[in-house]
Amino acid sequence: MSTKRFEQPCPESSALSKLIESASASGNPFSATTLQILHNLQHQHLWTSLQIHDISAPSDATDTTPKFPIATSPDDTAPTLISGIPPHRVYTHPDEQLYMLEQGLREDDLKPERFFVIPTAQGQQWSLRRMAAVFDAMSEVQPVETPMVEKDNGKAKQLAKYYERREKAHETKEWGGKRVLLAMVDKGMGGEGTVVYYVVQEGEVKPRQN
Amino acid sequence: MDSLPTLPIPISFISGRYLLFSIDAVTYLRREHNICGVLIGTLPQIPQQNVFLGLPLELMPEEARVLVDRGVACIVDEAKAHDGMKSLLEEDRRQYLRELESQGLHATRILSDRKGQQRDQALKKLDEKAKAKAKAKAKATKAADDNASASSSAQQDEPASVVDLFADDGSNPASSSKPLTSSTPDAQLAMGITPATSYPPLPHPSSSSQLLSKPEVPLSYPLFAHLHSRGYFLSPGLRFGCQYVAYPGDPLRFHSHFLVVSAEWDQNIDLMDIVNGGRLGTGVKKGFLLGGPEKSREEVNSEAERVESVRAFSIEWAGM
Repeated sequence: MSTKRFEQPCPESSALSKLIESASASGNPFSATTLQILHNLQHQHLWTSLQIHDISAPSDATDTTPKFPIATSPDDTAPTLISGIPPHRVYTHPDEQLYMLEQGLREDDLKPERFFVIPTAQGQQWSLRRMAAVFDAMSEVQPVETPMVEKDNGKAKQLAKYYERREKAHETKEWGGKRVLLAMVDKGMGGEGTVVYYVVQEGEVKPRQN
Repeated sequence: MDSLPTLPIPISFISGRYLLFSIDAVTYLRREHNICGVLIGTLPQIPQQNVFLGLPLELMPEEARVLVDRGVACIVDEAKAHDGMKSLLEEDRRQYLRELESQGLHATRILSDRKGQQRDQALKKLDEKAKAKAKAKAKATKAADDNASASSSAQQDEPASVVDLFADDGSNPASSSKPLTSSTPDAQLAMGITPATSYPPLPHPSSSSQLLSKPEVPLSYPLFAHLHSRGYFLSPGLRFGCQYVAYPGDPLRFHSHFLVVSAEWDQNIDLMDIVNGGRLGTGVKKGFLLGGPEKSREEVNSEAERVESVRAFSIEWAGM
C-alpha cells in the first residue's frame, strides 16, 4: 500500500496582494491602503480612469507649516487622494434632484463626473485639521482628463439649461460646496478588507431624503 | 400674542442652571431669537408625569451665552435677587396681594363668560337638532298620511306637540342661564393666581450687583454659535447620541437636518466615530455634522474669534 502524499502548494496570493507587492517593489510611494482602496473602486465599484494624487507637498514654497502635522506615526498613510469616474452618480443634492425632475432629466442623462476619494484605514487617527487640509488641497489637484464621448439622447436643450443652472449653484453653493468620498478600509484584527464610503461635504449641506 | 418682554430678559441662574420663568420671555426668544430651550416644569404632586412639561424653561449654557452676547438677556443671581423680599414694605406687600386678587377676579370673569358662551352654544345646537328632528318626523308622517289616505287626526296632533315641547325645553334654560353669566363673581370666588415670576413685587431691572458675568461654555460653543447665527435651531442631542440636533426652522415645523458633534482642531477623531455618526444620521434621514473652530482657546482672547474660525463638514453614507 503506497502512501500518496500531496505536496500542499502555498496558496497563490490574491490579486490585491500582488498589486500591492508589485507597487512596493517598484518603489511606488503610495501606501497599501491607497492601493487597496483604488483596487476596490476599480473592481467592485467599476470606477474608471482612476488616478492617485499626492497632496503632501505644500503648494506654496513660503508656507513652511506642515499641512499634516499629525502624520508622524509609521502606520499613517501618506496624504494622497484618489480620483476616478464612477459609473453612476455618487451624490445628488436634494435641490439639484428637484431641479432635474422639473427639467425631466435623469441621472443617467448627465455626463459622468470625476469624484475624489480620501483613502483611510480603520484605527487611523483623524482630525478636523487633516480633513480641512484635504479639502484645501483638493482645489490644487489637476486630474488628467480624457475627453469623453457625449451621448445624444435628445435632451441637449435641457442639459444645457441644467449645466448653466449648476454653474450658478456652484457659485452660491446652494447645491453644496466641495465634496469628497471618505473611504475607510477595515484592516484591523480579522479585518476582511471591507471598504466603506461616506460623502463628506464642506459646510452645512442639508441631507438627502433617502 | 405679541407681548414684548422688557429687554434685557433676566435669565435666572439657580444652582448651576439657567432658567426662564416668564412665558412672555420664552415665546419671545423662540419667535425672535431661535432659542427653544427645554421645558422642565412638572406638577409637584405628579412628578412622574414628564410627557407634557411646563415652565420653567432650562437653557443650555450655550443658549444663555448667545443671548447675553446679543444683548437680549442678562444673567441674574436669583438667590441674591430674592434678598430684596425681606426688605419689602408692608404697603408694597398689601398692594401686591390686592393686585393678585384683582387678577384672580379677572380670570374668574373670563372663565365664567366662556362657560356661559359654551352653554348657550350647546343649547342652541340642541334646539336646532330637536327642531330638525321634529321637522323630519312631521314630513315623514305627512308622507305616510299621503300614502295611507285613511288617517286619524290624533296622529297628526302628536308631532306638533313634540315640537312644542322641545321648543319650550330649549328656551327655558337659555333664559335661566342669562343671570348666571351676568352675575359678577365676588372676592370669595376669585381664582388663586400663582405668578411664575417674582417681579413684581421685586423691581424688574435687577440691580447690577445681582448680575453675573457671561455663562461659562463648553468647548463646543463656537460650533453652536456658528450654527445658531446661520438660523438653525439647536437642541440638546442626547436622544440622537450627539452634542446638538440642528433644525432648519422651528422644531415644531421642521425635521432636523443634522446631528452635530464638535471637536477641537487637533483633537484626535476615531474614524469609527465618523462611521457611527454617518450611519446613524443616514438611518434617521439626517446628516452628521462634524465641525469646530480652527483656533484653540489659547490662541485667542475671546470666544467670538473662535466662532469666526469655525469650519464644519457634513457627512452622509454614500450607499456604496
